[in-house]
Amino acid sequence: MSDILKSIFSVGTFHQMLRSATPVALAAMGGSLTEHAGIMNIGMDGMILMGAFFAVWGSFLFQSAAAGILVILLMGVIVGLFFALLVVKFESDEFIIGCALNTFALGLTSYLSRSIFGAAGTKGNPALPSLHIPFLSKIPLLGALLNDHSLLVYVTWILAVLLWLFVYKTPYGFWLRASGEKPDTLRTAGISPVKMKWLASVLCGVFCGLAGAHLSLGQLSGTFAENMSNSRGYIAFACVIFAAADPAKAYLAALMFGFFDAIGLRLQDYISSDLTNTIPYLITIVMMVYVVVHSQRKKKAAGKPLPAKL
Amino acid sequence: MKKKLDLSYLASLGISVVLAFLIGALILAVSGHHPGHAYAAMFNGAFKGMRHLGDVLEYAMVLCICGLACDLGSRVGIFNVGGEGQLLLGAIAACQIGVWLDGASPWLVFPLAALTAIAVGGLYALIPGVLKVKLKVDEVITTIMLNTIAASICQFLAKGPWKNANKNIVAGTQQLSARYWFGGLVRGSNLSTAIFFAAIMALLVWYVMQKTSRGFEMKITGQNPRFARFSGLKTDQIVILCMTISGAMCGLVGMFRVYGAEHLFKSSISNDYYFEGLMVAMIAQYQPVATILLSLFFAVLKIGAQGMELSAGVPNQIYLIIQTVIIFFMAAERGIFRSIQARRAAKAAKARLEGGSSHV
Amino acid sequence: MDQSLIEFEHITMEFPGVVANDDVSLSIRQGEVFALVGENGAGKSTLMNILYGIQTPTGGKVRIRGKEVETFSPKNAIELGVGMVHQHFMLVPSFTVAQNIVMSKEPRKYGVFFDNAEAVRRTRALSEEYGLSVDPTAQVKQISVGLQQRVEILKTLYRGAEILILDEPTAVLTPQETEELFEVIRRVVREKNMTVIIITHKLYEVMAISDRVGVMRKGKLVGVCNTADVDEKILSSMMVGRPVLYENLEKTGQPGDPAILVSHLSAKDERGLPAVRDLSLSVRRGEILGIAAIEGNGQSELIEAITGMRSYEGRVVICDRDVTGQDPGSIRAAGLAHVPEDRLATGVSKDATAAENLLVGKQRQPRFSGAMWLQKTAAIRAYTSGLYEDFDIRGAGPEAIVGEMSGGNMQKVVIAREFSFDAPVLIIAQPTRGVDVGAIEFIHTRILEKRNQGAAILLCSADLDEVFRLSDRIITLYEGRITGSFRAGEITKEEIGYYMTGDRGREEAADEKEA
Repeated sequence: MSDILKSIFSVGTFHQMLRSATPVALAAMGGSLTEHAGIMNIGMDGMILMGAFFAVWGSFLFQSAAAGILVILLMGVIVGLFFALLVVKFESDEFIIGCALNTFALGLTSYLSRSIFGAAGTKGNPALPSLHIPFLSKIPLLGALLNDHSLLVYVTWILAVLLWLFVYKTPYGFWLRASGEKPDTLRTAGISPVKMKWLASVLCGVFCGLAGAHLSLGQLSGTFAENMSNSRGYIAFACVIFAAADPAKAYLAALMFGFFDAIGLRLQDYISSDLTNTIPYLITIVMMVYVVVHSQRKKKAAGKPLPAKL
Repeated sequence: MKKKLDLSYLASLGISVVLAFLIGALILAVSGHHPGHAYAAMFNGAFKGMRHLGDVLEYAMVLCICGLACDLGSRVGIFNVGGEGQLLLGAIAACQIGVWLDGASPWLVFPLAALTAIAVGGLYALIPGVLKVKLKVDEVITTIMLNTIAASICQFLAKGPWKNANKNIVAGTQQLSARYWFGGLVRGSNLSTAIFFAAIMALLVWYVMQKTSRGFEMKITGQNPRFARFSGLKTDQIVILCMTISGAMCGLVGMFRVYGAEHLFKSSISNDYYFEGLMVAMIAQYQPVATILLSLFFAVLKIGAQGMELSAGVPNQIYLIIQTVIIFFMAAERGIFRSIQARRAAKAAKARLEGGSSHV
Repeated sequence: MDQSLIEFEHITMEFPGVVANDDVSLSIRQGEVFALVGENGAGKSTLMNILYGIQTPTGGKVRIRGKEVETFSPKNAIELGVGMVHQHFMLVPSFTVAQNIVMSKEPRKYGVFFDNAEAVRRTRALSEEYGLSVDPTAQVKQISVGLQQRVEILKTLYRGAEILILDEPTAVLTPQETEELFEVIRRVVREKNMTVIIITHKLYEVMAISDRVGVMRKGKLVGVCNTADVDEKILSSMMVGRPVLYENLEKTGQPGDPAILVSHLSAKDERGLPAVRDLSLSVRRGEILGIAAIEGNGQSELIEAITGMRSYEGRVVICDRDVTGQDPGSIRAAGLAHVPEDRLATGVSKDATAAENLLVGKQRQPRFSGAMWLQKTAAIRAYTSGLYEDFDIRGAGPEAIVGEMSGGNMQKVVIAREFSFDAPVLIIAQPTRGVDVGAIEFIHTRILEKRNQGAAILLCSADLDEVFRLSDRIITLYEGRITGSFRAGEITKEEIGYYMTGDRGREEAADEKEA
């Protein structure tokens, strides 16, 4: 038993936590933008999957991970524009579009993978470098924890701070939040809420693309596998809800996911990996229930609320 | 999306299908396949020979029941995205009943297996249903999480405690004795007598939803739950019941797949089949009749695409692309129409503002 | 004073199937208070939305200070000095007062960051300049409606408005708050030479505040007068298009035993704050009890509690059956029918047809549902078209989608359904909100018919005229408590206002008398 505990609460687990949390965190940060803009974005899983594939594809094509990232930035913008076109411009049902986008991504990436690589997946393409920061390694424990991560892990930290500043400390962030909470307020102030929604969608596309890139080019060093997003987009969505769309809190929620994912990996030595795989998903359900119960307790006895219309 | 199935629905469906095939052709061409050859191979894959046709019907059955299960939930305002998990668990549980009771009369095994599939699928849908109704936990996320969990549990069981004795099968349960199989209808195809049970089930769902007072109550509940409660309907019960039945139907599909086609539980029992059924339901705008008819259409596409992969070497996933592009068009159709109208109106208004004549 | 500031020339605004403004020409002068009156749907708000650039007219021109407006957008309107306070406030509830006021013209630090301290400072300075005190750091969702309106006015002033449009500004205000608002209007006109356009349908307010008044009916401007030259009677007949003669409705029969008994009922609102406090009342058969109260004083929560739509403490008895804590279905079974205040949210399914909406609640009756739950479509069709005729519902027939019907017809669908339960107890909230005059008379007649047939009716309306016209007894609610109880004829509309504002109103009345 103490062996298990030792293995769970090792530096390695927490190192793994940061790794696993990163794609979910990136997607959740993007999702917090669309959430603020009043768009229910459950298409993030598809966006991540496309990001994972096109990052590998770019990296394979130009034999450079940097090119893969550039491809992803472009793809993120295109996917975001496409999503906004359907959801914002044509006012289609967000839920249907999100669902269809996820299936579309699955079909497209599997199809292209088979067409381009002749197989359901590919590996060994140029990957993103891991960073070794010399001064960090001198700090005991913390150094080992924070050092030697893939590039995007560090980028995510910076992005989380920047995004938080953007949402809560700049006028644009105010407009973004107003565009979801009370769009008419913004419209009557002479600012287009629609533009803010487009912006949020495009940024979300880019963030989800980066999430996918981390998955394929960072975490798995240049590997694409069919359906490799593995519902992370939905977990990211749960993180957004859990964090009330605060990008910094969403990062922390993703860390929690990462922690349980890492524990699952550690426990594989003792329990079937098929069972430990379920841990993060179970935690996500618990998280969703917690959010709702918690928010209901706040306005307890407010009269029994009726179910909202779908 | 519109609610009524009428000419304009058919027109927009037709246009969407044509556009989707054109986009599919574009993707085929760009990725180095000849679109004409590919589509011809797809057609042959579905219609050439009884064997293929049998597979089409079997897959249409799966899509249809899954799609109707989705209809049933969305009719009362709850979205069952968890059918995949309900299907898998129903399949493995029903399968194991047959394995455990090996030797017993089929008259015992069949009903028991079906009841097990119903109970397991239903209970697995009951969880998100109760969470939604009693706690207002969004069902979409919970059902998707439960899908992944169910898939993992099935993997665990099929690799571990319930594993097939044959070492070559990595993840699969024991095979059922042949006397428990649904009778095959077309040699070499997956089609079995299960389709008759599915047809009865589809008919029943259609009848309840479209023709009865309970179906009417379901519809009102889904359209405006507050109004339904205000009018004295027991909305909580209705929603939970429909979600449970939806799950039970998915569980039964799992049993049909095991007892009709695969004869043991392995991963090919369902490869996101529920999601494809859900897509069909979306395109059918959650109308039972359209769901049943469109299931046939998409089964043709799917089986055709598999045939195409074998004969022309085109990955069958082009099928998913075409299917989702249809959904994109159908969902955006009203918006596209509106924005064309708005542009026209703006032009007309501008012309008039600039002092032009007042005709539109 | 005589100079034209704003000119509307032949403004036409068409929506699919509706002409909201039909060739409206109107000029408004610098420094006046102009009142725009008309019934619901007469096109007042549309005209002002055009002035504020929210909508682009399909025909005609607008000139401000002699210059033609070329692009219709709020941004452009703001630059031209137009500010609008909408009927539904345009405030972001989770933002602070200061953040709302400076929106779109935020003070910045380092070019990109929002300067909150400066925003607070500017808000404070502005509120002192105009004598409109607000707390700049309070969250908008936590302040009262009256204060929110003040924030809205400050917002337009911050943006440099010289023309102020107020859309139904007094609908949510107490008489005292209304008087304060009028004081503000008079001050900005006098001291800052602003021009104010006020949209309303309360004619005594027109008389109290405006210099000139324009009357709209069915999209057309039917007249513009100096307020001093007209009175309320002339205006109301201009609004309706014919002299308004309220026939006296006949009241027959004697009240019987109590059919609604509410004792010591307390309920909370959405935010968890007490809305109804220890309230008891009873309504007898053949009697209409009217509730007079300003919106948000617990009347909605009271009705929701009685009808089983909201949890509460206390006891409710309907027709001698204790229904405390039961669900709406069981309460209806005890003999209650209910016309809800918000018909779109609660009273109909707008995606269903009129016939389907008329059937709801009776769908399981044997005459409509046979063996194997099979719906008897012929019987349903006959029954619903009968109701459709009886209640004079106009539109595309019983198969029309309710969401596409006008407010008046939609309300008739609700009333037809609820009245046809023949329930001994009726709870009726806002029966004629957003309903045109012809339909109002019809609905009132039906309500009195029900009373004369012996139903116990609890009526709640924001329209005091309606409460006075229909009720046998009237109670006033203030902050969830009954503050007064009167027989019909015992009290006037003017006097009852004091009870509707609770102790505060009465104290002020007392002060006035002393002075």
